[in-house]
Amino acid sequence: MKSKFSDSQLSHIIDQSLIYQCACPAQVAKHIIGLRDLHDYQKNCINQTGTDKAVHQRIAADAERAHAALEECLREVLCLEEWDMQTLNMPASLQKTPRSF
Amino acid sequence: MNSLPGMEVFIFDSSAYTRSLLAEHLARLDDCSLQAHESWESWDTSRIKTKTAIVILNHHTNDTMPFDFLQQLKRASPASLVVVISSPGTPHKTFEALQQGEHCIDMIFDKPIDLDRFSRFLIERIDAMRKARDLNHQHLNLLRFLPTGALRRIFAQPEPGSAELFEMTVMFTDIRDSTALIMQQSARNYFAKLNAILASQARLIRSFDGMVVKTTGDGLLAVFEGAARCHLSLKCALAIQQSESAKNTPVGIGISDGLVLTGILGTAEHFHFDVIGSHVHLAARLCAKATQGEIVATRDVADKARFAFQSSPHDEAVMVRGFDAPVSCLHIHS
Repeated sequence: MKSKFSDSQLSHIIDQSLIYQCACPAQVAKHIIGLRDLHDYQKNCINQTGTDKAVHQRIAADAERAHAALEECLREVLCLEEWDMQTLNMPASLQKTPRSF
Repeated sequence: MNSLPGMEVFIFDSSAYTRSLLAEHLARLDDCSLQAHESWESWDTSRIKTKTAIVILNHHTNDTMPFDFLQQLKRASPASLVVVISSPGTPHKTFEALQQGEHCIDMIFDKPIDLDRFSRFLIERIDAMRKARDLNHQHLNLLRFLPTGALRRIFAQPEPGSAELFEMTVMFTDIRDSTALIMQQSARNYFAKLNAILASQARLIRSFDGMVVKTTGDGLLAVFEGAARCHLSLKCALAIQQSESAKNTPVGIGISDGLVLTGILGTAEHFHFDVIGSHVHLAARLCAKATQGEIVATRDVADKARFAFQSSPHDEAVMVRGFDAPVSCLHIHS
């Protein structure tokens, strides 16, 4: 499955979004990881009948399409929010202002 | 009951931003002392002072995997709650394998975390840990009121009237000339001094594997069990006589050995553990005969003790109710 973001890049995006309140890109990244798991699962699933094979292929193909769509969605969201596309660091303006500790 | 310290909460997070978010959120937990650290790598697990702490590790993709740290942590403080916050996907799977294989992680939260769910989880676990810790504390405090060793089986059926015979060495201690001491100072002062003296004796009795049954006004009644009971009781008596408190406030000690009836006396509403029998009477009589700084023990106890001690050259026979013949005894000097 082709990908624009590596697993560690997705994890880096998620790492910066600890909590739900500032986590829209992280939510997308999380679902991309889920789609990769789903795709891998279908690829490794045992085909006992012709129907099994068709089912696994169908799910894998749709997971791939959804994955491509969500990766593009993530790229656009990161651009809209003005993330640094080289480092994939969250812009300071999006960070919640925490109490100093 | 001693008061218990608050719960310790440790946060480890290499990002100053997310560390401060976590600290801000966790600062709302009641009665918890919070510490936030950038790295666990130079952190010594022995710094956890309480037996139960909460360790929250927010793992970032570029961090070193904290396998050794988490294992050391659980070994050092098994009752502590270890929570890992990780990214879903590979990091989560790696931590999950560690959780299932090494049991050094109690809970994994995937980022982004739902703060309500995270808070509910922590509050529930802290509450359960506090209850367990308080119960354990109460249990340890209550144990101080109960008999030790084989005697504890009396409490398998803690009903007034339940009793059991044991071979034991019985020891009485008593402060000499206490009436004069009371007259020399206020009652309150004497009571505080008496408590300190008896506490010192009780510590020595416990250190020689003995058990204090009760206080008897100006002294204690203690028992010793097991094959070495005579040896231990005599050594303990000598230690009491050589202690600082006995030098300042002389005591007499009486020791006897034999069958003693142990049991629970009282009513269903109030009862206490006690020992009765002829050897208890005998030890009390011997204690009364002991002058200040002296130990009076039956010859039987001295023979069974099997160690060298200074004793008076002459034996003395004591007539005691419950014994057909006079009981041979020795004056043992400290």
